[in-house]
Amino acid sequence: MSLDIIKSDLIQYFIIYKPQIFYLIETFVKIGILYGAVMTLAGVLTVGERKLSALMQDRVGPNRAYILGFTLWGLFHVVADGIKMIMKEDFMPKNANKILFTLAPIISLVPILFVFAFIPFGNYINIFGYTARFEIIDSNLSVFLIFAFSSLAVYGAFLAGFTSGNNWGLLGSIRAQAQMISYEVVMVLSILPVIMIYSSPSLSGIISAQGENISGFVPKWGIILQPLSFLIFFTAALVESKRAPFDVVEGESEIIGYFVEHSSMRFAGFMFGEYIEIVLFSMLISIFFFGGWQVPYLSDSGFTLGNISIPVNHYIKVILELLSISVKTVVFSCIFIFIRWTLPRFRYDHITKLCWKYLMPISVLNLVVTAFFVRAF
Amino acid sequence: MPKINVDGKDLIANDGESILNVCERNGIYIPRYCYHPSLSVAGNCRMCLVEIEKMPKLQTACSTIASEGMVVKTDSEKVRKARKDVLEFLLINHPLDCSICDQVGECFLQDYYFTYGLRKSRFKLENKNQKQKRREVGKYLVLDNERCILCTRCVRFSNEVTKTDELFVNSRGDRAFIDISPEKGVTNKYSLNIADICPVGAFTSKDFRFKQRVYMLQTTKSICTLCATGCKINIWHNNNTIYRITPEPNIYTNTWMCDDGRMNYKIVNSSERLTHSMINGTEYNKRQTVKQVFNKLSKAMDDKLRIAVVLSNYLSIEDNISLIYLAKNVLKTPYIFSIESNQQKIEDGILINSDKSPNSNGIKLLVKKYGIKDISEYAEYDIVIGFYEDIKNLRISLVKTILFSYKKSSYPCLIALKTYFETDGSFINWQGYLRKTAKVVNSPENTFDLHHFLMEVSHLFAVYPDFNFKGIIKDLKYKEEGQ
Amino acid sequence: MIRTKKLDEKKLNFWESIYIVEIVKGLVVTMRHFFINLFFPSRIITVSYPEENLPLIGNAKLKSLHRIKLRKDGSPKCVACMMCATICPSKCIYIEADETENYVEKYPKVFNIDMSKCVMCGLCVEACPEDAISMDTGEIVGGSYDRFRNYKNGGLFLTKNELFRHLPHETISKSGAANRLANKYLEDKND
Repeated sequence: MSLDIIKSDLIQYFIIYKPQIFYLIETFVKIGILYGAVMTLAGVLTVGERKLSALMQDRVGPNRAYILGFTLWGLFHVVADGIKMIMKEDFMPKNANKILFTLAPIISLVPILFVFAFIPFGNYINIFGYTARFEIIDSNLSVFLIFAFSSLAVYGAFLAGFTSGNNWGLLGSIRAQAQMISYEVVMVLSILPVIMIYSSPSLSGIISAQGENISGFVPKWGIILQPLSFLIFFTAALVESKRAPFDVVEGESEIIGYFVEHSSMRFAGFMFGEYIEIVLFSMLISIFFFGGWQVPYLSDSGFTLGNISIPVNHYIKVILELLSISVKTVVFSCIFIFIRWTLPRFRYDHITKLCWKYLMPISVLNLVVTAFFVRAF
Repeated sequence: MPKINVDGKDLIANDGESILNVCERNGIYIPRYCYHPSLSVAGNCRMCLVEIEKMPKLQTACSTIASEGMVVKTDSEKVRKARKDVLEFLLINHPLDCSICDQVGECFLQDYYFTYGLRKSRFKLENKNQKQKRREVGKYLVLDNERCILCTRCVRFSNEVTKTDELFVNSRGDRAFIDISPEKGVTNKYSLNIADICPVGAFTSKDFRFKQRVYMLQTTKSICTLCATGCKINIWHNNNTIYRITPEPNIYTNTWMCDDGRMNYKIVNSSERLTHSMINGTEYNKRQTVKQVFNKLSKAMDDKLRIAVVLSNYLSIEDNISLIYLAKNVLKTPYIFSIESNQQKIEDGILINSDKSPNSNGIKLLVKKYGIKDISEYAEYDIVIGFYEDIKNLRISLVKTILFSYKKSSYPCLIALKTYFETDGSFINWQGYLRKTAKVVNSPENTFDLHHFLMEVSHLFAVYPDFNFKGIIKDLKYKEEGQ
Repeated sequence: MIRTKKLDEKKLNFWESIYIVEIVKGLVVTMRHFFINLFFPSRIITVSYPEENLPLIGNAKLKSLHRIKLRKDGSPKCVACMMCATICPSKCIYIEADETENYVEKYPKVFNIDMSKCVMCGLCVEACPEDAISMDTGEIVGGSYDRFRNYKNGGLFLTKNELFRHLPHETISKSGAANRLANKYLEDKND
């Protein structure tokens, strides 16, 4: 068999399976872009949080780590922290459940990373006639899948505390159960009106519905149609991310939290997971309530407001849309941080009370009223 | 036996004993500069003044003989005032040199000033009498005449102990100073004792000068191993370094000490020190050395060579017992020898013995016990094991020796030993007293305790000794102090 | 008996009880600080020690980094009397003395201070009979990870090279107990 035959065979196969190959390449590129961006942002947030909090408290924040004399506003602390985490002693308590103890940080990290697959981070791009959508998995049920997977992450917190054989860890787990499960309910309830209004259970459907304008010039964003939903969802997101003012799960000052026995990269898994969660909820908030990748008044034909229309190049439009969701995500990540460093911690019973006595009835009421309006108009 | 009363206590004095001695025996301390128990009484410093009832003036305790019915007060108001005044007199011309003076820590002026003086001088600093500072005297001493209080202890030492009369008091009044007779110079072998007995910083040791403060040093009692006299010594050391050696005065052997004995500590860190065992020009560590010697000896035994073991007068009893054990039980050789020492006699009438080996008497006892022959029955041997100082004097081919040594030398097979500053050892001196050296500093890593080394070699031969040194030494006929 | 304590919790009004207004108020405060500090970094009062130092107030400069004063000719006033090493409660001073040919006879061949052990008590200054060691440099010892590196290279180990120095604009005094010898030495030097 000569080389030419193999060559021609390969070309034959390529022609037959061309769409599949293109689809594979496209998917890998998208995964590269999205996860690269998310991981980078989460990494930067670890230092960014310290830097922002320092500025809020009239301090300078981390500024010592350097490479070749350049400190880069303390950004090299990401590297320094990573190296430190790897070098730390990997400690496991004697009476811990070895398998689950090891599994806990993985469980808390992997489902959250998986959720990003459903998130559309741009509209579409047309390169030499090939159209690619900025979404790794396009599913009609993506909203429900997102909540299904993200609530799996709670098991990480449970297992970490229960299996570490530490009483403080156990307390942290119990708090996590009570607090996070209750807020899962509220979170889903608060998002149902949004799905109703845009009449689509898929994220891309919700986003494209937000591209329209109300009475010509106000963007049809979720924040305008469902401000109450936004507030409840934002609160629930704060609780889900286990940060102040809802950080009784960790409770650094009294119980240290469910990961008290986890050290080295196991702890890094939890910590990094927390920051990825922030990025995730920032993205979700911007998608549900701020139009996702939508830029106000920008459509395929360019900027249009009433009769005025300015045509925009396709690639510039793609870049603007990508920028739009990026900026929204970063801004909401920062707001998460600002809230954490502004508010004191809620008392344990207050958190439960807030959920079951106020947020739950309000979101149900909101759901009913929205249902009525959607049916009526 | 006159009875006297000192500070309300009734004490019994010996006939012709001075008040100071009576008080000293009974634990009452009287300050002194010129008085020294081993020298004649001079009575010129006036520090030991005491009040005696029915005597109009204060009397010097060192020169007043105790007689029946004396009532002595050593701590009355009058005595205290007298001491204060005497101190002020002594300090009139004493320079403010304490910061550069080596006597600090053992200076009688400082000690008494803090106990009895504590008065600001009424004399001006500028009017102090200036004399010669830093004069080198002999090989070992430095003299600073400004600091001298003319107690004349040094002069009496050279008159009475060494009988060399090198030192005398020159000039008179406040110009008086200690001088050296130019034709003699301080060349006696006991000169450093002068630095010891000087109560102030006038005479200081050139060797110890500025090395360390005295109060920073620890002392350990040991013995000198430089000759058969076996003087008791104090070793002054700090942070694993020996800084000086002083005599430990005792009634059995020595009050003083010779200069050579004091310089003996320099072997520990000298450049000549053997820090690794050297076999055919190669340095070996401990483990390798034992292996090498074992190989050499086992080969010699297989070849049925004649191995001779020579006991050493320079080594301790423990080491010699181990040598005998090695010869008898491990090598199974009949050739064990000892070396005859010089005649034992104090050469100069003070301390230095004509026998330079510290343990000749111990060896004699061992020879008697084990029936060992003398090396005079010398024959041709194939391997000789011994101490390098002994073998030096015998006519033996170098190649055939396995020697133990502290110092580097040209022998082909040298095992590095610890000095007796670095290990314990028992010695019997020329009077027959059993004395022990003490471990003061740590030895270099690859040097051996001889008996440990020999035991390790015998372990390799699968011979496991079952005796203890204490039991064997107990059986030897030595004298104990106090007998 | 169980002791109880009644807490007087403040009754919240409607706007306070829905939190949102109060949260916004709080955010306004923190945001104000954040943006002011972001755009005017010079308003942050943090001092980047050890690169930056605040000037010491009053007599605080008399408990700063050690130095050994020098005589007019540049030789150290110290005569290695060991008083400082003796009194030092943390045993951080190490001196090796040696003999010199000049009148003062004694000088420090080695003079080391391990600042990682020093407790800045100042007893060495009080003990010094020659007025040689002093803590009047006004410099503060910098933080360091490396106690055995030389002080000038960022460590905490002071040797003769760093210790023996004049201060700028210093008038050199002559006081000290070994004064006569030292003065004689200086006079000889001038002639």
